[in-house]
Amino acid sequence: MTREEAKDKIVEILKTVHTINPERLKNITEKTDFITDLGAPSTELVNIVAKAEEKFSIEFEDDDIDDIGSTMGDTIDLVLKYVNKKQPAL
Amino acid sequence: MNPRKVAVVGIGGIFPSCSNIDEFGSKMFADKSLIREWPEAMRHGKKMRSTVSGYTSLEECGLEEVPSSLLVNYPEIFKDKFNRIPIENLSTADLGSIWAMLGTQDAIKMSGWTEKEVRSEHTGVVIGSGAGGKEVSRKSWHNFFELEKKTRYLGSHNVDRVMVYRDAANVSCLIQSKGVCECIGSACATGLGNIGYAYRLISFGLQDRIIAGGIEGTSMESFIGFDAMQVLSRGFEPEKSSRPFDIDRNGFVCSFGAGIVALEAYDIAKARGAKILAVIDNYFNNSDGSGDMFAPSIEGQQRLWNGLLGNNRDRLFPDVVKVHGTSTPLGDAIELFSVVNYLGDNGYHISAPKSQFGHMLGAAGAVEFVLAVLMLKEQKLSPCLNSDRLNEQPETFQREADWPGTKEPVAAFRHLLPLQTVAKEINRIVCLNYGFGSTNSAVALSRDL
Repeated sequence: MTREEAKDKIVEILKTVHTINPERLKNITEKTDFITDLGAPSTELVNIVAKAEEKFSIEFEDDDIDDIGSTMGDTIDLVLKYVNKKQPAL
Repeated sequence: MNPRKVAVVGIGGIFPSCSNIDEFGSKMFADKSLIREWPEAMRHGKKMRSTVSGYTSLEECGLEEVPSSLLVNYPEIFKDKFNRIPIENLSTADLGSIWAMLGTQDAIKMSGWTEKEVRSEHTGVVIGSGAGGKEVSRKSWHNFFELEKKTRYLGSHNVDRVMVYRDAANVSCLIQSKGVCECIGSACATGLGNIGYAYRLISFGLQDRIIAGGIEGTSMESFIGFDAMQVLSRGFEPEKSSRPFDIDRNGFVCSFGAGIVALEAYDIAKARGAKILAVIDNYFNNSDGSGDMFAPSIEGQQRLWNGLLGNNRDRLFPDVVKVHGTSTPLGDAIELFSVVNYLGDNGYHISAPKSQFGHMLGAAGAVEFVLAVLMLKEQKLSPCLNSDRLNEQPETFQREADWPGTKEPVAAFRHLLPLQTVAKEINRIVCLNYGFGSTNSAVALSRDL
């Protein structure tokens, strides 16, 4: 999975987060911060993470969730770390 | 310092089968029943003994449940179809808390308070509930314990949607008040208890304005608990099910709703030209001290009356006594005899609002207080609906040697218990509510004359 593909799927997740105004989801970059740029309450981060687990069929370790940042890039990093683990070596 | 007078300057709430407070008032004074068969209870078939309720569906209050994609049958959020409540506030609220916020918006609008006044450190919130939050809790715990879901799948709002004072907390966050924010719990006296506590805070000079009230969000758990006790009405058509004082009464109707009032120091309200809907003359509460969790006590209720009116009995003599009147066999008779014992048997009428909408548990005292304010406004008292036939024989307990009250049967007081709405001059009303744990609450309110 590419970073762009991961980003698109995470944007789909963000569309289901009710406290984020959908208007703010245009022109999302990896630097976009869910809290400062999208206006999400910090309490929503765990909701986004849990929805990412469902979306990508992965399960994060608690340590990784504790350390996660609040930008799109941070979330892509975490997701790809687990998605790539799942893929068999060629 | 001398206690300050307290004014009621706004009212609001969620009322069964009503879209707003005007519809509520018009149905009350048209002798309508708001009680219906409840599909949610009927769905459980023979497991349920009673299936009637005064309830409000999500559709009727303009809300929509958005299910979680992570959990089974879990409401991630309730959306407001009319955009009355911001999404940030909806995300921290269970159904009852949303009702509290909607009732608050109506009460504040009626009060005429400015944003500066609302967001003051002299403005507080005191709202409680009998239980509530259970619909969220049940589904949370089922997903964790039975379905083995991770805790993070609950999201971050499980705690704020089920904590004891969630109604007060959500309202305070919505209106951004800076004063007291807490709740009082006293079972079925909760609604009146919160209003009474708020009255004291203003009267003693600790706050100038308070949003107060009681909430009982829809909950099968509450209904089931009382159904298990065999204390709910059964065997009647829905609108006939709640029948305080009637000889055939066999239990109360478990209902849900919300009552909210905006209270303000009288002098402040008067100075800004506010419309005074009512004045609270006094509040008093006590316990029976009988050691009995459930049974009412005429002795405890006599002390309640004395504490409420005391030396002011004649000055505050009510035109209407709004009783607790649940439609349970023992409670109604003792309450009636207690009222008669203290006031005599003429010069007032009794109103039993639960005859029309059932027993809203933690919301009961607040919704019935709202109705009392409407009685003052409309100069009408709502009836003791369905009290068709009264016992002409003394109750068993009246034959006991140490019974301190009247020996007359319930039927001797027919003239106090109107079957229909009565239009008359109403200047003073006493509201009574009691709760499990032998707690008693009473408020005296009057028209601003």
